[in-house]
Amino acid sequence: MRRLLCILLLACGVFGPVHSASESVVLVVRADSPVKDLSSVEVRKLFLGVPVLVEGRLLHAIRNRSDARLDDIFLQQIVAMTQEAYDRQILVGLNRQGWVRPAEVGSVARVIEDLYVDPQAVSYMWLRDVEHNPRLKVLRTLWGE
Amino acid sequence: MRVTHFLFAVFLLSSPLARGDPWQFEYLLMPSAQVVGTFDRQAPFTQFYDELVAADNLFTIQRGPFKLFGEYYLSDHEGDLERLQLGWQLSSDTVVWMGRYHQPSSEWNHEHHHGQYLSTTITRPAAEEWEDLGGILPQHFTGILVESNHAGPNGWYLRTAAAGGLAPQLTSGGLEPFDLVHPDHNRRQGGYQARASLHPSEFADTGFGVLAASDDIAVVSLPTTPAALGLEHVDLTLLGVFGTYATPSWKIFATYYYVGTELHYLDRLPHNHFSVGYLQAEKRLGHEFTAFGRIEASIGAADSPYLHLFPEAGRDKYIGGLRWDFMQRQALTLQLGKTYTLQGHFADVRFQWCAALF
Repeated sequence: MRRLLCILLLACGVFGPVHSASESVVLVVRADSPVKDLSSVEVRKLFLGVPVLVEGRLLHAIRNRSDARLDDIFLQQIVAMTQEAYDRQILVGLNRQGWVRPAEVGSVARVIEDLYVDPQAVSYMWLRDVEHNPRLKVLRTLWGE
Repeated sequence: MRVTHFLFAVFLLSSPLARGDPWQFEYLLMPSAQVVGTFDRQAPFTQFYDELVAADNLFTIQRGPFKLFGEYYLSDHEGDLERLQLGWQLSSDTVVWMGRYHQPSSEWNHEHHHGQYLSTTITRPAAEEWEDLGGILPQHFTGILVESNHAGPNGWYLRTAAAGGLAPQLTSGGLEPFDLVHPDHNRRQGGYQARASLHPSEFADTGFGVLAASDDIAVVSLPTTPAALGLEHVDLTLLGVFGTYATPSWKIFATYYYVGTELHYLDRLPHNHFSVGYLQAEKRLGHEFTAFGRIEASIGAADSPYLHLFPEAGRDKYIGGLRWDFMQRQALTLQLGKTYTLQGHFADVRFQWCAALF
């Protein structure tokens, strides 16, 4: 019985975090980025095209459109808007103050490449896509099951 | 040196300060086309100038905290560089602009600018009309504009804008703003504007605010009206309040302007004032339809010597209509209107297609 309990605990310890980690969406920057942390308000502003400065330098948002689930999480958790409201907000920002909308990238590999070349770039992705990558830094978890 | 060249030069010189930052570009096209018919014509001027086909081109070139933002409006009536602003993002909350801008003491300007797609109605309120379309208040200035958005207590946000620059001049064709592409050397005077509003959250449409402006308008060629004989310049003082209440299904907003006028003639200085305001309601129906209506009213307009410089100026107006967003970023709108000018009245019907294309 004790042996079985040990196996179960071990299984939870080994597989549990992997399962939850792979079902998390995290905010990511380049490893040497000056960005240490961003509040949820700042993240929302950034992905709505609002200028966000850290240490006097403008951040660049990359919208990860590599899968439909990420799109749903983006709308529900990051910008907290319907796609229609998001589209309108982007139009309004550009019309009012010339805000540049976030770059939209359709593959994880391309998102990672863009993060490598720009220390001011900020994106989000599944934790499993970034957790063993020493060239990227996870700032925070945006969503998790 | 032309102002446009100067702005480009300043932008290029400032870009080394943003070394290491990538260049970013943005472009938005907002085309529109409409047909207009007037009837029940009981006024010498039965309609304002109409732009039947138009393309509003917005562009941004950004590097680090510096940005060049422009709006070129092309229509069957005109081709004009409406805005050209060199911006410096001082912080996440504040941006400083230099160039030609839309005067900020107008919530309508802040919400729509020239973007036809972003306006539910086809026409602007008469008090907000552009200068070259018969507008009575100056809308385009060339100078400095500062815009801010600050978090306040209990999650409220304070949006502010303040500006000062060269004011439009009064000509025989009405108000004429400084043209960056074809600058003139006429004597121009200045104007200052400010707007402040409170909103329950950063991106909320709901909110309320106040505005003020003081504009001196030089007269360079006399309008062809008796009221213009001997006129040298005009001083306008604008005070106003505005508010918006927005829910997913309703949007109601209103603006009230008090306009004080001083007409500087060679031999006299008449003071006067009038008030203009409007209330617009929009109701979102099912299937992407939106019904709308607007009431525009004025007090003291008929007795205003300043408004008599603009024979086609609208006094009161009532419009209603229906907009259908039939596909993503494209809409069709039908609008009926009844306008009372200083010299009569007329009715109009309009049908418009508009879009926003990235």
